[in-house]
This record gives sequence, structure tokens and C-alpha cells, in this order.
Amino acid sequence: MIDTIVLTQLLNGFILGLIYGLMAIGLTMIWSVTDLPDFSQGGIYIISAYVAYWTIILLNVPYFLAIPIGALAGILLSVAFERIVYNRLRPSGVLSCLLAAIALFFLLENVANALWTPKAKIMSVPETEVSLNLFGIVTSYHRIIIFIISVLLFIFVHLFIKYTKIGMAMRAVAEDREIAALMGVDTSKVYIATWALGGALTSVAAILISPLYAVWPGMGTLPLLKALVVVILGGFGSIIGALIGGLILGLIETFGAIYVSAAYQHGFAFILLLLTLSLRPKGLFGRR
Amino acid sequence: MASHSKNNTYLKKSFFYPRALRFAPIIITIIILTTLPLYASSYIVFVAAIALLYAMVAAGYDVLLGYTGQLSFCQGAFYGIGAYLSAILTVNYGWSFWQAMPISVLFVGLVSAIIGYPALRLRGAYFAVTTFFLAHFVYLIFLNEVSLTGGPLGFRGLRPPEPIGPLSFESMTNGYLLILFSFIIIYALLRKFVNSNVGLILKSIEQDDILAESMGINTAAYKLLSFVISAIVAGYAGTMFAHFFRLLHPTTFSWFLSEMVVIITLVGGVGTLIGPVLGAGIVTFILEFLRFAPEIRYIGWAIALIAILMFEPKGLMGLIKRVGVK
Amino acid sequence: MSEKKRLGKKSIAIVIIAVIVVVIGSVLGWYFMMAPAAPRVIKIGYSAPFTGPAAEFGTNGWRGISIALEEINARGVYIKGEKYTVEVVRYDDRCEPTEGVAAVKKLILEDKVIAILGSHCSSVCMAIAPLCDENRIAGITIECAADAVTSPGHEYYFRMRPSMGLMAPLITPVIIDKLKPSKIGFLAINDDYGRSFVESFKKNFEGYGVSTVVEQYFERGATDFYPYLTAIKAAKPDIVFYVGVTPEGALILKQAKELGLIPEVKFIGSEEMGEYELVSLAGKEAVAGTYAISLWAPKPEIKELASKVKEKFNAPMHYAIVFGYDALHVLVKAIEMAQSLDPATIKDALKKLEYEGLQGHIKFESFEYGGKLFVNQGRWTPYLIRWTGEGEKELIGP
Repeated sequence: MIDTIVLTQLLNGFILGLIYGLMAIGLTMIWSVTDLPDFSQGGIYIISAYVAYWTIILLNVPYFLAIPIGALAGILLSVAFERIVYNRLRPSGVLSCLLAAIALFFLLENVANALWTPKAKIMSVPETEVSLNLFGIVTSYHRIIIFIISVLLFIFVHLFIKYTKIGMAMRAVAEDREIAALMGVDTSKVYIATWALGGALTSVAAILISPLYAVWPGMGTLPLLKALVVVILGGFGSIIGALIGGLILGLIETFGAIYVSAAYQHGFAFILLLLTLSLRPKGLFGRR
Repeated sequence: MASHSKNNTYLKKSFFYPRALRFAPIIITIIILTTLPLYASSYIVFVAAIALLYAMVAAGYDVLLGYTGQLSFCQGAFYGIGAYLSAILTVNYGWSFWQAMPISVLFVGLVSAIIGYPALRLRGAYFAVTTFFLAHFVYLIFLNEVSLTGGPLGFRGLRPPEPIGPLSFESMTNGYLLILFSFIIIYALLRKFVNSNVGLILKSIEQDDILAESMGINTAAYKLLSFVISAIVAGYAGTMFAHFFRLLHPTTFSWFLSEMVVIITLVGGVGTLIGPVLGAGIVTFILEFLRFAPEIRYIGWAIALIAILMFEPKGLMGLIKRVGVK
Repeated sequence: MSEKKRLGKKSIAIVIIAVIVVVIGSVLGWYFMMAPAAPRVIKIGYSAPFTGPAAEFGTNGWRGISIALEEINARGVYIKGEKYTVEVVRYDDRCEPTEGVAAVKKLILEDKVIAILGSHCSSVCMAIAPLCDENRIAGITIECAADAVTSPGHEYYFRMRPSMGLMAPLITPVIIDKLKPSKIGFLAINDDYGRSFVESFKKNFEGYGVSTVVEQYFERGATDFYPYLTAIKAAKPDIVFYVGVTPEGALILKQAKELGLIPEVKFIGSEEMGEYELVSLAGKEAVAGTYAISLWAPKPEIKELASKVKEKFNAPMHYAIVFGYDALHVLVKAIEMAQSLDPATIKDALKKLEYEGLQGHIKFESFEYGGKLFVNQGRWTPYLIRWTGEGEKELIGP
């Protein structure tokens, strides 16, 4: 009989991995379609969590409604950044856009800091905090919710990319931008759609994890970095890769924190990154 | 339009800007900075010293970012390693600063070479992400290895550099002058470096590294070179900081530091070497000036940064060039 | 090479005007900052973290200071028959030593304050204490906890609250008497405060034969405590000290409960966990039955201050508010005792003064303890409280 602690951590690691995966899918899509590793998604992560938090607190909106509202904020911000900032800087090269993305992340973090103070806020969702005892594993409904919503989103994204016109256009642009444009794909519409989708995924990831962790201005940096690692691990442009990579990182981090070192738990992502880059730079399912 | 501007520059060169005068701003600035302790309070001297250290790191960083086109975020890590190693050698093992400093700098160079060798084979953003993580990882080491670095309890007991003859570095003024002096030397060396043939090669890599590679240039080696150089400069600045401030704490070497270096370089003007130096001065000035408005300090700052990126990505130097000076 | 258009004459003019405005603005601003106090104004400096992870301490310290400032200016400070008002200049030090040094230097050299309050983070306090001696200006730390701040100490730097090294010996016998543990564990924030806390309590409990079976550290802002709590559960301590700020505390309690640690294991929180904010963050249920070390007991004066804070800032009570409040009052009392604005005289007054603060009886003493020499250090006994099911504090000891 496996120790229940191990099982509990297995579950926790799995759920954490799903969150990383969600964010990584958004990032890998944005990166492969628009050529920009969008660091500002870290800022979007923060803001959407706060938006959800405040709608719950101020407007007494139930958590499940706060998720799409927060996601909407994320979508609007991402698209706004694309239209206002990245669009202008694109002719100057990827480096400029990257620097702008970082600056935007910095900006959003400091805005959150100034508006809502650095002290962490706890997003309390009493409905899902109910403890659950599955085969001796103590967990909460919330983790099940995360599981369900994540899986639904994965399926949605997969179907979207595969079967809708926009989805196919996105894939075309990711393959080869010039040829796609020659074939009549409206790249700016594709960019908007990509950013909207990416922003939505990041926001949902943030809001899903917030009740378990806390909402504070610095909450975006580590998830962003880890999501980037997952993108690389899973393979540039691969959605399945992002999912699997996310799960791998989530599990390694959770078990590493307990059996190796809790203090360096954020270092596992780094080690994973180094391993990936030295052994299999294309990632698990990478195409480029 | 083009001939009009050509005429202007020609005129400017021969009539209004005899070659010697081009050095005037530099000389005036050096004089002002050297005599600073005479007429400014120790507050300003202190702030100036820290700004010069930032300028040093930023100039070294510009070699990597501006001249070789590699975005990296781990200057803070090298700065910190230089600082802590020098501290450990001098305080725990009784070395003199003049022995500890070169060893620390060499060590930083070694570390950067070992990390850079595999890391620089990565393309742009992958490399950037790796350096981000590296900076955080090094920070975790500073924070957790308490027996080595004192961790959050701080590393105290540092002494100023041992006197050279009758010249002691105990006072704020002399410490500041040592930093200023080193900065000038390092800047001059970097300037010579980027203007040399090697610098040209780096520039070609920045423009288009695939093309450079196809022309037979070992881009990996040159990227590594500029990475190591920027690391060494940061490490040296770190040792200077350690023996000037004499208290080391992990928070000083957090992401914020690396972020600041990147921002300073951007604001000043990437790829101009003097740009980041100016950027350090400006950023420090603005942040000190806004000290009385603690809450909005960094927001105003972030907005200015975005505005710069959007309207003048070449930073201050770009603005200067556009307005037609020099 | 991209052909950037030359800016038109208009744009150049705008740029030049903008530059001139900025330069003039900064020069004026600088000048006003530097202007010595108008006659009959006592200028005091305050360096604290207002941004960054420790920002709540500066913000709360400032609240306490503001309320005290109002009270003081309402009655005025009388020196040799002249009425003075007090002004406090505050700068952000981000809980980072180089910033603290720059801020304090600016306060002393440019703003010409006659005394300093600050800071909150031990790393900053350690950096600015020597400056107080160097410039011969008295400084009172608001809440730095590490021993090293006043040991071996500085002639011009004072601390009201007992340091970590002193808190532990004062409260440990109370804990042993009331809770009778045989094994203890720690879950602490990985910074100077957390580490000093663990260090000193560990030593003190050892002195009573109680061993530490597990020690875990987490980063500021950490939110997933399951790995640490799992390790703690495996070590089976009777008591766990959890050290951090209230959001972390709230999450720790919730997650500990989920893992089944509470109520079997008694959780004792560090000073922050004795604050009402913990209840509002974690909920009455989660905190009920847990303990905390509190830096103030539920005295009526505190309740008065709490309602003022609620009224003025719409914020919960926090011990940094109490400390800030007390610090300014102590400083002003010293100035009144000294009947002078001379910093050295004020420093001497501080050394002799006694004040009944909201935190306890404040007196700055120099003494030896545990092989260390402490200078200008206060030592009142902190309180052990337990949270009731209604979210109220019950005084357990002393």
C-alpha cells in the first residue's frame, strides 16, 4: 500500500502541473505564432487574479463567474498590448518586442503593488474548500475543480486549433508567416486571436490557483518562468508538449520539495531547463 | 534631405567642432565627478558611488546586449558572486583586498565561461530565460547557504581595501574616488575593445549571427567572450561594492538589480556604451528625486520606461542623435 | 540603416522645453527638500519599507506615526517656553540596506533632521545604525528584531522592543509552564527575522531540555506550505512555531488543518499572528485554539488606537502601528526632557527616559545577556495569547 502522503503529493503535483500546462499552452501558442516569448503574460497573470479577487469581494460574484470575468480582463490586456505596443515595435525586431514585454510585466507588477499593496490577499472560496477524503488522500473539492476545468480547456483548445478557421490560420502562421500571408491569411486578426487565447489561458490558470495560494503583486514571476521552461521542455509550438511538460514539472517540483529540498524547490525548474537544453533542445514534442 | 544633413555635419565637423572639443564634455564630466566630494554632501557622494557601480555593470552589459545582441538577466548574479567571494576571502580567510579582488574576478569569469559555453548555443529568448533562472538560483544560494554568506542575517565585518602607501580607502571620499577611478579605466578599456576589430566582429554577430557564422566567424566563441567580459566587469563592480558598503545582504542582489541593469542600459541607449552610463546617472537621479513619493516611485518609472520603448527604443542616445547633436 | 526622420523644429522645441522644465522642477524640488525647517518646526526623519515585500511594515509604522503626530501637534512641543510643531519626513528603503543608507544620509545631510526613526528590517537597521553614530544623531528602530542591531550596539541607536535574543528567554518559561512541550518544530520565513527567531528560541528551549525535531524555511510570498508541513508532520513535534506575516500564517493554518496537524499539534505564531488580521484572513475557525506571541496585550488603550486606525485609514490593527506610535511619542518625550534641539542632548535624554508605551514599559538599558553586550535596548516581556472561537484574544501568560 503506497503511503498516503506520497499519493497526496502525487495529486498535488499533478494539479500544479495542470496549471503550469495551461499557462504554457498560452505561451507556446503566442510564441510560435507571433515569434515573441511574451513575458508580459506574467503581468496578465497578476492582474487577472486581482480582478477576480475584487469582483468576488466587492461585487459578491460567485467564484465560477469570477473566472470568466478575470479571463476577460486578461484577454483585453493582452490584445491591447498587442495592438498598442507590440504592433508598433515589430518592425524594430524581436529584441525590442521582448524588452517591451518585460517592461510591461514590470509595469503591471508595480501597478498592482501601488494600487493594492504588496501584502498578499487570500481568495477564499468556501464552496470549494470543503475537504475531501479520497482513498485516504486528504484533498479539497477545489483541486477537483481545477482538474475538471483544465481538462475541459485543453479539449477546447485542441478542438479550436484543429477544426476552426481561425485555429487553422494560427497553425498556418506558426508554420510560416510569409506563406500564410501570401495565401490570404489576415495575420493581424490571427495575432489578435492568439493573444486573446493566450491571455485567457494565463488568466484562468492564475484564478484557478489563487484560492490555493495567495494573490500578491509578485505572484507572476515564478509561474511565468516555469511556464517558459515548460514551453521549452514540451517543445516549441506543441500543445500536447506543454501539457505533458507541465505535468512533469509539477510532479518533479512537488516531490523534489519534499524529498530533496524545500528551500531550492524553485530550482528544479532550472535544472529541468538545463537538462532539456543540453539533452534534447527541441523538447519532447518540438517541431522546430 | 540627405545632402542637406551631410552638409551640416561637414560644416559642424570643421568649423564648430574641432576634434579636441569633442573631448570637452568628457573632461568636464570627469572633473566634476572627481571634485564632487569637495562641494557635495556625503549623501550625494554615496549615491554617486552606487550610480557609478551601476554604470560600470551597465557598460559591461552593453557589450553583451548592445554589441553582441544577447539579452541576459544575470548581471546581478555575477555582481553578487564577486561581492560575496571577496567578502569571504577577506573576512574569513584574512586575505587582503588586493589579493581577493583579482581572484574573485577570475572566479566570476570562470563561472561565466562554464555557464556560457553551453548556454550561448541557445537562441535569443531561450538564453534569456536561462539567465533569468540562473540569477534566481544564485540568489537562492546567497539566501540559503547561511554558513557561507550569512544569508538573511547579513555578512558584516568587511574592511575597505588595504591602503596603497599613504592612501587609505576608509573614508567615503576615498572609497568613492577609487570607484570613480576604476570606472574610468574600465570604461576606457571597454571603449577600446568595442572599437577594435573584435568589436566589429561582435557587431556583425549582433546584426545577423547566422550570416556571420556562414562567413566563417566562430560566433559561439565571440558570444562567450562578450558574456565573460560583461560578467567580469560585473564581478569587479561587486568586489568594489562589497568593500565600499561593507554590509552584504541577499536582498541587494535580487532580481531587482538585474532588472535595473537592463533598464538602465535601455534607457541610456543600447549599443552605444556611453548610453548605459548616462542611463545609470539618469535613473539614479530620478529615483533619488522621487524618494519623497515612495508609492508612485516605481510606477512613474515603469511608465516612463514603456514610453521610452515605444517612442525611442534607442534610449537617450537615440534621442540625442535624432535631435542632431554630434 | 533605418532613416529616422529628423525631428521638426517644433518637436525639438518641445523636447528642449520639457528638459528645461524637468531640470528646473528637480532643482526647485531639491531646494525645497533641502531647506532647513521653518522656525519652530522640529524635523524628524523616517526610513521604512513602503514598497517591496515588506511594504506593510512601513505603511503601518507610518500610520502609527501619523496618529501620534496629530496628537503631538495638537498640544504642541514646548522647548524653553517656545511652542514647536513636529514634521516627519519619510523615505522608502525597500527593506534593502543600500537604499536605507541613501535614505538616512539624505535625511541627515539634506533634510537636516534632528533624529531618525527607522527602520523595520534588520538588514537596514544594521546598515543605518553606524550612520547615527557617525553623524551623532539619535535613531530609534521601529521593530528590527535581530540581536545584532543593538549588540554590540551603537551609542546613538535605540530599540524599544526586546530583540529576538531577548524575547525568547522572556517568553519561553511561560510557554513551557502553560503548554509543557517535549519536542518542538519551526516553520519560518527565510529572512533575518525568521532565522533569528528560530535561532534564539531553539537555544532557549534546549536550555529547558526541549529539543527541536524539525526546522523548515520558506521564501517570502510562498504560498504552498504542504511540502514543509508534510515534513513537520513526519517529525511529530508537540508544538510548532510558525513565523512570518499574516497571509502566510493564514495559509499555513489552513493547510495544516487540511493535513490534520491542527489541533493535535499546537501552533504558536510569531508576533504577526497575534494580530486580528490573521482572523480576517484565515477565518475564526482556522485560528481558534491556536496560540501566538503578541507584542501587545488587549489593553483598553490599544483598542482606542485600533478604532482611530480604523476610522482614519480603514485598516486593521498591526503591531507596527503600535511601535510607530510609541516611537514618535518616545522621541518627542526625549526632546521635551532635553529641552533642546541638539541631537547629542536628545540622545542623552533617551538614555535616561522611561515611558509607559502601548507595548509595555519602555526603558533603554545597556546590559549583558547570553554572552552578548546589548546597548540602548528595551526589555519588557511579550505576551502569550490564544485565539478563541469568536476571534478574540485570550491572555494565557505571563
